[in-house]
Amino acid sequence: MTSFKEFADACETIEGIASSLEMTTVVSSLLRRISEFGDPDTELAIVSRFIMGRVFPDWSDVELGVGPSLLYDAISRASGLPVTRIKQLVRETGDVGETAKVALEKGDEASKSQTTFLDFTGADTAPAAGLTITIADVFERMNSIAHASGKGSQQTKVKHLQYLFGTASPVESKYLARIVLEELRIGIGEGVVRDAIAQAFSEDVGEVERAYMLINDLGEVSVTALHHDLDAVAIMIGRPIKPMLAQLGSFDDIIAVYAIEWKFDGTRVQIHKDGDCVRIFSRRLEDVTNSLPDIVKLVKSRITANQAILDGEVVAVGAEGKPLAFQEILKRFRRKYDISAMVQKIPLYLNLFDIVYLDGVSLIDEDLRARRARLEEIVAQHKQFSVAEQVLTDDPAIAHAVYQAALDAGHEGVMLKNPDSLYSPGKRGKNWLKVKPIMETLDLVVVGADWGEGRRANLIGSYLLACYDTDTGEFLEIGRVGTGITDEQLAELTELFSQYIISEVGSAIELQPAVVFEIVYEEIQKSKHYASGYALRFPRLVRVRFDKMPEDADTVERVERLAGG
Amino acid sequence: MFKAIISAEALQDAIKAVSAVVDEARFEIAPEGLSARAVDPANAAMVSLELSNDAFTLFEGTEGEIGIDLSRFVEILGMADRSGEIELELDPDTHKLDISMSGLSYTLSLLDPSTMRKAPSVPALDLPAEIAVSGSVFKRMIKAAEMVSDHMSMGVHDGVFFMEATGDTDHVRLDLTGSDLIAIKPAEVRSLYSLDYLTDISKGVGGAGEIVIDLGRDLPVVIKFEPTSGDCKIKYVLAPRIESD
Repeated sequence: MTSFKEFADACETIEGIASSLEMTTVVSSLLRRISEFGDPDTELAIVSRFIMGRVFPDWSDVELGVGPSLLYDAISRASGLPVTRIKQLVRETGDVGETAKVALEKGDEASKSQTTFLDFTGADTAPAAGLTITIADVFERMNSIAHASGKGSQQTKVKHLQYLFGTASPVESKYLARIVLEELRIGIGEGVVRDAIAQAFSEDVGEVERAYMLINDLGEVSVTALHHDLDAVAIMIGRPIKPMLAQLGSFDDIIAVYAIEWKFDGTRVQIHKDGDCVRIFSRRLEDVTNSLPDIVKLVKSRITANQAILDGEVVAVGAEGKPLAFQEILKRFRRKYDISAMVQKIPLYLNLFDIVYLDGVSLIDEDLRARRARLEEIVAQHKQFSVAEQVLTDDPAIAHAVYQAALDAGHEGVMLKNPDSLYSPGKRGKNWLKVKPIMETLDLVVVGADWGEGRRANLIGSYLLACYDTDTGEFLEIGRVGTGITDEQLAELTELFSQYIISEVGSAIELQPAVVFEIVYEEIQKSKHYASGYALRFPRLVRVRFDKMPEDADTVERVERLAGG
Repeated sequence: MFKAIISAEALQDAIKAVSAVVDEARFEIAPEGLSARAVDPANAAMVSLELSNDAFTLFEGTEGEIGIDLSRFVEILGMADRSGEIELELDPDTHKLDISMSGLSYTLSLLDPSTMRKAPSVPALDLPAEIAVSGSVFKRMIKAAEMVSDHMSMGVHDGVFFMEATGDTDHVRLDLTGSDLIAIKPAEVRSLYSLDYLTDISKGVGGAGEIVIDLGRDLPVVIKFEPTSGDCKIKYVLAPRIESD
């Protein structure tokens, strides 16, 4: 069993390092130590997630369900300091981790901290110091927290946390608190962990990457790498894979035959059919099956294959035959109750455009032409359930006509796909290009905000935006947005963000990175003011991207590219 | 194997007492009766139950262990008429508990005991003072403290049992002597406890006639009572809060 302290110490080391190469070395030696001395099959998986500030696999629906206020309550109980003092510490330190550390060190303050039975089991009845918790203990408690439900579940969550903070040393508490909010702040992203796994177990980085895209859990990938079984990793039906992504293109890119498809104004879904069992995953790989009984029914009756994993776009169509606003589809996706009424109110249309798995065989290593042919064979078309139309051409004029038709129908534009390309899960590349008319927008994470003034007092008036650094997992600030927001939206957003407030200093608010804004702007400029090195001119909010996770936000590399071009 | 019939009142009181501090518990079945020991998630409060086979009108049990989701169990037991009887039977095939009462038959899914956290061993404590008070006095004391603070001290000074709670602005003290006490074995002691837990415990105490409190200096408190008759024993142990300056 490896102690949590071993993990906390590695985090402390990493926090003092700036280079991702050095970070990779530290993470890789941590992984190797655990594989040699710990209980590798359990602990390696946990640590590989913890080090990125994650508790559960990416594909899992399980959530801790602990917000800052529950966390402060637990730290308060374990330390004996009142919640008001904990909040004050958060404002002073600007970090929940430091707050937990300071609170549990107690400093010179008088406090009345809750003991546990462990404090009384020693020969001496005085509270024992230096008791350690193991990595597995921490995970087991987090699992209990995530699964606490029903009446009294908040209390149960607080008590589990209280136990952890009561047992952990101050340094361990620092990282515990950050893991609880799923933000470790040590600059470790997927890229570093991927490289560290490869380095620790002498595996090829590309193989590690491939396995991750297929099974969506670096924890499991890490254990598989230890056993040198990466090449055996395959698509598993029921476990979402990362969808292949498109990058921005233009009709000038058509230098050979391309498959032209409409870019629907809807939302991406990944459908897994295994006999009578159908599961549907959103773009964020959340299981949305229960919200879409109409689609489930169509999949059961209209897919003739026994097993299939399909890629497509769901569109909500209004009375005039035009796609409804994105928000309307989200109403369907996020619905938990009265689903049948919603099915009537907002009918959905599914356009399938790819297949990655068919009756026990992975198709990702087949080209688009072959996959498309397979897809057409197994879909019995229906007005709400069809294979998206596709035109194969090397003539930009024909592509443009398809594009115009898509726009006339109220959709976003077209996709240009290389018909000879393989399906690359999680990759954004030249094989799939999207052509859209409006100026490109950026999807940015909201990391902070300011309370408004005057008419907007009591409301959050402006938002601090950040792009994502894939190497470090950090969110780098790029600007503020306060325009493009109606009064009604302001109130809604203020309510939405209230649950993510980490701390407040004066009118400035620090937010947990959780919400993604789609932002349109006039220009990207170089800037020394923001951590990303860039700033946006005249940013405006287009919409909230509820379908995207913070890690799905645009990257600093993309910003760089847009700024250059 | 487990099959038993018991008065609804006895079972309701016993299970309510356990559920006051934990959401789930492992119950041990033995020919002598039913017992349970569980610790709350924070490892700060513990409860143990001993329900002897004499408490049952019928008791047939061989050594075994079952895990129960107590909030579900309390809800189901709440459907029984207090003056009636409840029949429990473990289905060995499905490993579910059949519960019959006043014409209702429930099947309760059980939890796998091996996945449940084990209660730590009861620390060996030297608690020199022992105080016996009525259940109603105990509840009143906790209610009074709750009004001013989230923690309270209990102790014995000069042979007088006291409770004291200090909040940000207000203060309350209760001294119990003579007729308010059923019995006292005095010693100079004082410990501080979280009212979150004491409030839960006071709910579990229900209508118990006598509560026995064992106290030490900055040590866990042991609170014992018998809900109905001598056939059922409940014991809580609560870890203190320690003041540091």
